[in-house]
Amino acid sequence: MDDLSRRTLIRVGVSSAFGALAARFLAPSLARAGALPAPKAHACILLWLNGGPSHLDTFDPKPGRPTGGPFKAIKTRAPGMMLSEHLPLLSERADKLALVRSMSSKEGNHPRAQYYVHTGYAPNPTVAHPSLGGWACARLGDPTSELPAFVSIGGPSFGAGFLGVQNGPFVLQKAGAPPADTNLPPGVDRARFERRRAALDSADERFARATGDAKVDGRRDVYAKAIRLMQTPKLDAFDVSGDSESVRRAYGDTDFGRGCLVARRLVERGAKFVEVFLDGWDTHQNNFERTKGLMGTLDPAFAGLLDDLAARRLLGSTLVACMGEFGRTPHINANDGRDHWPQAWSAALAGGGIRGGVVHGATDEDGAKVVGAPTRAPDLLATMATLLGLDPAHTEMSPAGRPISVTDDGAPIPAIMT
Amino acid sequence: MSAAFGTTATAIATLLALAACDRGVAPPSAPPLTPAPPTAGPTKPSLLTSADVDARLEAAWKAAGVTPTAPADDATWLRRAWLDVLGTIPPPEVTVRFLAQPQGDPAKRSRMIGEIIASPRWADHWTAYWDDVWMGNDARRPDIDHGAFRSWLHDVLARDVPYSEIVTQLLTATGQNSDGGPKRESEENEGSGPPGASVNGAVNWTLKYQETPQDMAGTASRTLLGVQVQCAQCHDHKTEKWTQKDFQSFAAAFMRTRLVQLDAGGAPKGAVKRVEVRNLDRSAPRFAKMGDLAPVASAEPKALDGTDLGAGDGVRVALARWVTAPENPWFARALVNRMWGHFLGRGFVDPVDDFRASNPGTTPELMDALASDFVASGYDLKHLARVIVGTEAYARSAAPLDDATQKADPEAKLWERFRVAPLGPDELLDALVTATKLDAIVRATGRLDLAQVRFRVRERYGFLFDVDDVTDQSGYEGTIPQALALLNGSVAATGTSVLPGSALAEVLGEGGDDKAKIEALYLRALSRLPTPDEVSRWAQFLVDAQAQPEAPVPPPAASPQPERARRDKAQKRGKGQQPDPLTNLEGRAGNMRATARVRAYEDLFWTLLNSSEFVLNH
Repeated sequence: MDDLSRRTLIRVGVSSAFGALAARFLAPSLARAGALPAPKAHACILLWLNGGPSHLDTFDPKPGRPTGGPFKAIKTRAPGMMLSEHLPLLSERADKLALVRSMSSKEGNHPRAQYYVHTGYAPNPTVAHPSLGGWACARLGDPTSELPAFVSIGGPSFGAGFLGVQNGPFVLQKAGAPPADTNLPPGVDRARFERRRAALDSADERFARATGDAKVDGRRDVYAKAIRLMQTPKLDAFDVSGDSESVRRAYGDTDFGRGCLVARRLVERGAKFVEVFLDGWDTHQNNFERTKGLMGTLDPAFAGLLDDLAARRLLGSTLVACMGEFGRTPHINANDGRDHWPQAWSAALAGGGIRGGVVHGATDEDGAKVVGAPTRAPDLLATMATLLGLDPAHTEMSPAGRPISVTDDGAPIPAIMT
Repeated sequence: MSAAFGTTATAIATLLALAACDRGVAPPSAPPLTPAPPTAGPTKPSLLTSADVDARLEAAWKAAGVTPTAPADDATWLRRAWLDVLGTIPPPEVTVRFLAQPQGDPAKRSRMIGEIIASPRWADHWTAYWDDVWMGNDARRPDIDHGAFRSWLHDVLARDVPYSEIVTQLLTATGQNSDGGPKRESEENEGSGPPGASVNGAVNWTLKYQETPQDMAGTASRTLLGVQVQCAQCHDHKTEKWTQKDFQSFAAAFMRTRLVQLDAGGAPKGAVKRVEVRNLDRSAPRFAKMGDLAPVASAEPKALDGTDLGAGDGVRVALARWVTAPENPWFARALVNRMWGHFLGRGFVDPVDDFRASNPGTTPELMDALASDFVASGYDLKHLARVIVGTEAYARSAAPLDDATQKADPEAKLWERFRVAPLGPDELLDALVTATKLDAIVRATGRLDLAQVRFRVRERYGFLFDVDDVTDQSGYEGTIPQALALLNGSVAATGTSVLPGSALAEVLGEGGDDKAKIEALYLRALSRLPTPDEVSRWAQFLVDAQAQPEAPVPPPAASPQPERARRDKAQKRGKGQQPDPLTNLEGRAGNMRATARVRAYEDLFWTLLNSSEFVLNH
């Protein structure tokens, strides 16, 4: 894995000519065609498969081919869609999935690719692009809500760039427990906390006036929000014991499974964008055993989430997306692994506004090249944005004075939208 | 500037003793130490002084029609300099002594700069800084001994090894990575222990990139030269002149190491795997298996400007020589730019590691002058710090002038006003530890391991407070979890409890009235004295608190609150997440927190440590 930290990632400079070139081949954008369709989804849950999952061993199996690997492919509830044998639960719910097999990009470097898929732009030192979660928080989030609108469970996700840290993700390191530091420390009851808070507020007010710096006011806002979070009954969103044993069991006894359950609870209570992080897909070594293990975690969690959302009549209004930053090589290396392969990979969507049981695009017989309906990450994000009610063509001014839209010229994909 | 070493031996000894206390090491009992020997410092009259720098900046301000803000007051300046040079706040004794010196004394600040730079904390702080730049947090490989790396770094910094030599050692390191101790301990080791005799900690940097020479080349170029080339990994750079071939030739220079596993039979469980790194006279065979590295492996190693780096096993040495050569246009500039950005809030070139033809930067002549000076000084990091910190520019107030008189730089690039910024995670943690004497509290429990506590707390703070200083926003860079950590988190809670060993217990134990105690707490937390208004407000707060109906003293930690118990249980169930070692420590203050008055002092201290004034560098 590359060592570029979050803060240095933004500094890498490139401008991709690929985007401009590709745009000419894409179908005309829905958004540009006229009025934006009414939002189908009130919230989005992104299942982030970190590391670049092997599309060949999961969503785009090529059994029988020399580089197809040992896994079999199984029929699913969606005619014409076969999945890896290690996704049986998902296969039974494939009639709800839209599977895009023709994702393709040029970024084979982890942080750059992760940035690209989260923001729809290649990294560029002159502007910090907001992730889709950041856009959702800024444009759809309710600033008076006690719960954060954009939550990331188990991983850092990507921030809101120039839209500000207040629109960035609230990071929950581990699902199943309340967020850290939301309880008062021992010895401090509500009354004492109030006395402290009042003293702090007046001290900060004086300091703000003395320095005349907006940072102090910004900080006081954040503190007020933090205190609201501490005191809201909606904090039970993070408490999985509020759900029955059978529901919890359906998601699987894993951090990721619990994370998906918490995502559902958050969405129920008004969150707009929740990302759940599953790491470990960067299988340069021992690809098959490791990917199989990961699918053992992903399968029940993804299936459980779809079932749970459906049972609560939330599936129609919740967009669920599942993807990583690139695919993996058909060639199997000397360590029984597969290496990075951005040229072809898969993404799966379900829920609000998504046409289920559909396969969009295809790769060649070995999964090396896209042979139909090439799709860029910006197009996928434009689809998701449109379904959430965000106009992909809407722009905000970056601090450097450039108008930045939700994706780098992405066009929504009508074939997977209802 | 040569007044740097005019400080009395006693002051140095006190400083060293205080610093030693901070680190949990017994202060030297020998007679007062003599002042540290002068570094390869400003003995040549042709080296730059702070006044030279100021003159150039003043010219730039005048040309732009920009007005600098007023000078910062002594207390503000002192705190700022300590934070920026040593990574923590000044101990109260230092503040009191500095403020007691006459206001108008011109040599006062330059003497203090000399003291600061001579402090053993210099090595501690800059070890953490360069460790973050070069190694970062990702040292999870079983064959990386992070502690050994930090020990090497601490050693070269403490011995004032020239920066060019430090970088040379980094790039050409050979030898054994570790003596094979427990990996956990190596992570916790902050580097102040001596390096093992047979170990060259510097090789751990090479080991970090043992499978990714392109990343190593990209990182080396970015951190050492300020040049971003890693996008040329996959295709020709779109806006700058680097081609993919250039990149491959450069990356080829980073493939000339052979790794010899010393624990081939298997290392003991949980121990660092021992590896020896040796030079190789061709691209290492381990890269042959990696398909995407084939073109790189077969390329002739060349520097970024096309200089041939030779053949045989001298390539790494040739690379280091090219990087650190005085003629290298980037090396000195990158360092000077980085340091200027560290102290003044924004580099000449911004971002500091993005030198490009299309990004010429502000006042490049000043940067060039500092770069030449840095080379002439023998790549002396202390000299550079002394020059920058001694400027009037560094001493600007963060407060704006009245609107009528001030014209600020509309692009906010000219440093005419000090830039308020949140403390980084290491600084914030160290400031909290210094202010509260958290180390002493932990030691006084007699059962917690100080190194472990520091490591776990540091990990948590590193994650929470790693600010993305990406955007040039005037807004605050702060998140809800950061606010929660300070509001309710265990470091602030433990530190502001009147526990044995704590700063608060010390202050309350001293004689003196409320005013004296309020002053003492302000000195510890905010490194200044309170205004008369602040004293009277807090005195009133204390009176009000005692008038409160006596709230029942909560039971000690034996019965933690139900939510906490459930949370702790949840934490123990999961793997890999250690419980907070400071949990419930603050509950043990039960007996000592007997009176409302004592609790009110805890509230006061807590408020100061949660205030913006504490958490920001201003």
